[in-house]
Amino acid sequence: MSDSNVLLDVRALKMHFPFGGGLLGGQKGVIHAVDGVDFAINSGETLGIVGESGCGKSTTARAIAQLYKPTSGEVVLNGEDLTKLSPRKLIEARKNMQMVFQDPYASLNPRMTAGDIIAEPLRIYMARGLLQMSRKETDERVELLMEKVGLSRFFKNRYPHEFSGGQRQRIGIARALALRPSLMLCDEPVSALDVSIQAQILNLFKDLQEEFGLTYLFIAHDLAVIQYISTRVAVMYLGIIAEISGSADLYKNPLHPYTQALLSAAPIPDPAIEKKRKRIILTGDVPSPDKERTGCYFYDRCWKRMDKCAQCVPKLKEVGPGHKVACFLYHDPD
Amino acid sequence: MTDEAILRVKDLRTYFNTDEGVVKAVDGVSFELHKGETLGIVGESGSGKSVTNLSIMNMIPNPPGKIVGGEVLFGERDLLKMPLREIREIRGNKISMIFQDPMTSLNPFLRISTQMMETIILHQGLDKKAAKAKAIEMLALAGIPAPQKRIDCYPHQFSGGMRQRVMIAMSLSCNPEILIADEPTSALDVTIQAQILDLMKDLTARLGTAVILITHSLGVVAGTCDTLCVMYAGRVVERGDTEDIFASPKHPYTRGLIKSVPRLDIASEGRLSSIRGQPPNVIDLPECCPFYPRCDQAMDVCKKKYPERRDFGNDHSAACWLYSEAK
Amino acid sequence: MKFPKVRSLRIGGKADAELNEFAQSMKPVSLWADAWRRLRKNKMALAGLFIVAFYVAAVLLAPILPIYHYEDQVISHANLPPSLRPAGEVMLETRVAYMRKMMKAESRTSFNAKEEADIEAMKADIKVNPDHKRVYVMGTDNLGRDLLSRTIYGGRISIMIGLVGTITATLVGILLGSIAGYTGGKIDNFIMRFVDILYGLPYMLVVIIMMAIFGKNVINLFVAIALVSWLTLARVVRGQVMSLKNAEFIEAARSMGASPARIVFRHLTPNTLGVIVVFATLLVPDFIMSESFLSFLGLGVSAPLASWGSLVSEGTATMELYPWQLLVPAISMTLFLFAMNFLGDGLRDALDPQSKNRA
Repeated sequence: MSDSNVLLDVRALKMHFPFGGGLLGGQKGVIHAVDGVDFAINSGETLGIVGESGCGKSTTARAIAQLYKPTSGEVVLNGEDLTKLSPRKLIEARKNMQMVFQDPYASLNPRMTAGDIIAEPLRIYMARGLLQMSRKETDERVELLMEKVGLSRFFKNRYPHEFSGGQRQRIGIARALALRPSLMLCDEPVSALDVSIQAQILNLFKDLQEEFGLTYLFIAHDLAVIQYISTRVAVMYLGIIAEISGSADLYKNPLHPYTQALLSAAPIPDPAIEKKRKRIILTGDVPSPDKERTGCYFYDRCWKRMDKCAQCVPKLKEVGPGHKVACFLYHDPD
Repeated sequence: MTDEAILRVKDLRTYFNTDEGVVKAVDGVSFELHKGETLGIVGESGSGKSVTNLSIMNMIPNPPGKIVGGEVLFGERDLLKMPLREIREIRGNKISMIFQDPMTSLNPFLRISTQMMETIILHQGLDKKAAKAKAIEMLALAGIPAPQKRIDCYPHQFSGGMRQRVMIAMSLSCNPEILIADEPTSALDVTIQAQILDLMKDLTARLGTAVILITHSLGVVAGTCDTLCVMYAGRVVERGDTEDIFASPKHPYTRGLIKSVPRLDIASEGRLSSIRGQPPNVIDLPECCPFYPRCDQAMDVCKKKYPERRDFGNDHSAACWLYSEAK
Repeated sequence: MKFPKVRSLRIGGKADAELNEFAQSMKPVSLWADAWRRLRKNKMALAGLFIVAFYVAAVLLAPILPIYHYEDQVISHANLPPSLRPAGEVMLETRVAYMRKMMKAESRTSFNAKEEADIEAMKADIKVNPDHKRVYVMGTDNLGRDLLSRTIYGGRISIMIGLVGTITATLVGILLGSIAGYTGGKIDNFIMRFVDILYGLPYMLVVIIMMAIFGKNVINLFVAIALVSWLTLARVVRGQVMSLKNAEFIEAARSMGASPARIVFRHLTPNTLGVIVVFATLLVPDFIMSESFLSFLGLGVSAPLASWGSLVSEGTATMELYPWQLLVPAISMTLFLFAMNFLGDGLRDALDPQSKNRA
């Protein structure tokens, strides 16, 4: 993987949330939502992050976007470490990094028209003196964006509740594109949509990426969606990356037991195949990330566990071309 | 799977009166459920699948909704014409339901034991001790560890997957003939979903319960259902054996739906095939095929009349003008 | 990243617009228009709205209405009951009735000479004096002032205090509530403890003391009342802001670099307006009641100005003899307060955010 093309470089990112306490009690514990995440995304590619609830994928995206201040670690975008920037410089850097959210109902201000919502990033930057645009230019940009995402510009003055879920998501995408970012952080943008609309929006994402040379960090819990949209995939579990590799490779050759279990559990819309499948059924629940762990995070539910897995935490190591896994089945503890 | 149909839904119609007009949420739905069979009802938002489900049990809030036509024959009796008292004896007893959100379907103020025993005592007339024993037995069957201790816990002390197991245990505790599951795994993680679906298949096979599974996921349907109804805008557009439908989908909507789901086992290049347009607005729907604006093969007649149903053998049928000689 | 010129649209464009015609309703309907539609269906609320509008129109147009000036005194017309007949007749009638009562009390059966003479003088005066042609639809008070006009002008003062007080309280409440709700932490704590302390004060006592120290006039009255009326609204706004500040669209605004001020005023406040409007309409009656209570105690507006409260106060003194002097202002005020309350209730239902936000 060449370094010269790296757009986003995340190093040892941790996001811990203290809980418990209050006026009298002290801190009862810490939620290790993100517990040491490393990856790099090259310009023009899509990194998919997949995992179940509590794995920390949404928190990772928000920590990268600096919506939460990371507990530790570095987020280097275009050579600048976002965690160390002054507020003013951070806002300048945000121009290059925009987010698309999951819930098409909650991510749009219900009291603003579609046109206003899409123009809002432009207006924010104009108010801060970082962007100069006339009113006419703003209107034109909004209309152009609406057409790009497949909405008629005549709907500029409609309110969000008058659109369907898929259309609202298109508005959210247009909003994210307004400032011409290079990186788009997409937090489960199709999970709340109907299946037939989901396909439209996924196609839209791909088309926009091709047209504008965008780089995506794409989060989802549906493995098939991730496989379709991503060039590389990272599988997260309890705040760490269990496995990361090229998309095709991951699905053909999953190494980490958790990845294997996930792939085995994911339903395939083909009854002939489903009847023949042998499922790996994991026992127990998805645990919550509130304990300090001394061994592998997956130890409790792993059917291939060994003694050494309980003693130290496996690190993400490269075991094949572009394929990294954190598991002692494939490399030894240091 | 025998041939006796234990539930026959004929031309069910449920309309809602809203400020904006009449919403024909269910507009002529017919299907049959046989003993031990798992029937899947697949549809997207606005298709009417959940309303169909509630209509069967006559649980539509009135106002604003009203079941305006059709029959739901359970055995020989029409559920829609039964007095409330008799329906209550069937609910939870002969026909059970579980819902999507395990967080809200259990009463957070009552212990699990109370909630489970309530159903058992009501329908099976057991005394408290026997009812509790039965409840513990069901929890064990549903895979809850240490059920004698956990039965006295409150719902918030269980995780999502565990709560769904409790719901399944509760709903099967009276050994119903039919279990209606409305999106039982949509709120659950993939690995938990696999567990729950596995459990459902296992238990219903053991107890001989027929299942109506309502979902939007084609993958779930492919893995769990014997027969399938595809719903769109309040009607069943195609129905038949799951294998038949997936192998050879007749209705353009079914075809489009199957093609637009990204598949794990096939690396897709290029664009996903998608159905253009938006889900329909079912308020004051005119007389036409509701799918026509999104259909690649729409013809003139599609705008004017709702298509007739055409049978393809082996109980596989679809309602589409493409297959009708009469135009 | 360049934005290339618009190519032919594979993604939708025209075709999508057509489909949207079929699938979506046509007219753009803002959430306010939607609320209005629902309000219209609520008969009580509509009635309240009309009554309030009627009152506001009446008091605004008071100077040009064909009513007598509220300070105009015609002593001979003192304490006349409401009537559609000219004042002269009514005056004559009441005097004669009074004289008859005196006659009975003194066990006489006919008027004596003096009384006869008085009656003749009155009759003559009536023919000559144009004042006696006046019609007092609501009667007069003890100084011969038209009660209708005093009630209208009194309403002017009361409603003005209500509206201006409410607007001030609302602005202060929104400001402090939003800041407390959005920033959280120490500032929130500080503001809320301040609110708690003010809540604990014996409100009426404080107002009375202030009026006693700073003098009785409308401005002081208004300041005294406004000082503590913003408290509930601040709490309500804070609650709303706190529940909204974690919504995804707020996160989106933050991720776009919006300043906290912009987030609070451009994004949060418009979404809390529904609740604020409802509370504000219920604050107006509050203000009017407080003012009327103070005026009743004699601490409100002073003569010759009138407010509903002072009119009620004056009317209570004479309510056995001249009941209309109490009933007219009391009923007017009560009707207005009822109307505001119904309107407030209706608004709460109409602006309920739970309703049709999901397509």
